[in-house]
Amino acid sequence: MSEIPVLEGNTKKQRYESLVAALYQDVFRYAFWICKSKPMAEDLVQETFLRAWRSLESLQSDRAAKAWLFTILRRENARQYERYRPELVDIDGQSIAESDSNEPDSKMDRELLHNAINRLESEYREPLLLQVIGGFSGKEIAEILELNNNTVMTRLFRARGKLKAEFGLSTETDEES
Amino acid sequence: MDELEFRKRVYANPRDLDGEVLEAARANPDYQKIVDETLAFEDSLIPLIESAETPEGLMAQLLSIPETAASVGSNVSAIRAKKQSFFQYYAVAASLVLAVGIVFSLSVNSGPSSADIVFGNELLAHLYHDIEEIDDITNGETYETLDLDEVNFSMAVAGTRLVSYDDAQEFDVRSAKPCEILPAYQSAHLVLEGSHGAVSVIVINNSPVDVKFSFRDDRFNGIVVPMEQGNMILVGEKNEDLNQYASMFSENVEWVI
Repeated sequence: MSEIPVLEGNTKKQRYESLVAALYQDVFRYAFWICKSKPMAEDLVQETFLRAWRSLESLQSDRAAKAWLFTILRRENARQYERYRPELVDIDGQSIAESDSNEPDSKMDRELLHNAINRLESEYREPLLLQVIGGFSGKEIAEILELNNNTVMTRLFRARGKLKAEFGLSTETDEES
Repeated sequence: MDELEFRKRVYANPRDLDGEVLEAARANPDYQKIVDETLAFEDSLIPLIESAETPEGLMAQLLSIPETAASVGSNVSAIRAKKQSFFQYYAVAASLVLAVGIVFSLSVNSGPSSADIVFGNELLAHLYHDIEEIDDITNGETYETLDLDEVNFSMAVAGTRLVSYDDAQEFDVRSAKPCEILPAYQSAHLVLEGSHGAVSVIVINNSPVDVKFSFRDDRFNGIVVPMEQGNMILVGEKNEDLNQYASMFSENVEWVI
């Protein structure tokens, strides 16, 4: 993962502002996909940054910032919402921006892929999101999810295998190691 | 490298294939096809995942957090309550469906957070789970009075103990047992004989709420009191004055965790 200058400034507030500017979009995207709801994700992101502000002194390096925020977010999500929340799926066309040249072949494909991601079990969806949105390596994902590296790589393999299987591009194989 | 191993390595990180994988793909057209298909799939997958639109104004809200935090101190729940979040509306709706008639009021100026409301529902659900025992005490059908050791045996589960029982003896403790309000929280549930029936005193070794709030339904009223290392919850019949019990227990509960 490339190093991002997220802690610039002399004061705590300046450092916090640079952290927000550099990473809030990625943090929101991650929250959005694990919450499956835009309003819930927004709330979760605010809680995450509130906690980040309160413990900013514990963040010692730019390199650790994104993993630190994602970890706060995961814990906050688990702490506050997972226990109480019914399964909500309101990720829909209103929440996802229309893309341009990289758009799948048709709107139907885009929606199918979208739904396929949502249907992934969280154990497969989370490492995939951390890799795509967070840009984390397998080792970094393993640290965030408190798994070993082999398990992470297997889950990434299976996540893509499951998605591709829905489009007839692959069949699911192998057991998690 | 067999095909399964090849697929595993390609799927695990298609954007960062190592030399061995690339060499195998060059040597085998079927393997190259796997790479090409996977990368084409990534061209759909990645933009879709990254295209979640960031809400307008979110960055400004996040940048205002230091000021918000300063204005309400370090109390997370109070800050949450200020936001009037989606969860509040969601939880209010849920509570209306799941527990019709429950009313919350706060001892501070802001409203309860969604988590507080859900927590209140959990507490009432817990109480109704033990309703037969509570009814027996309220109806005077339970006469046993527990001594300090018996009470503290259960309190220990929540990492607490009563340091003095003198005040508590004004209110006979009819029941004391470990309980689980939520699986994550170890709790002790005492039931006293109050002025108007059974009064539950629940001590939790965690802090689901940070601000004091009250709640009630058609029969019970309750208060949640943040303490040094956890929460104390008191629930009694709706005409029961709970503050006297809150005061007594607050002064006599010692955290040992």
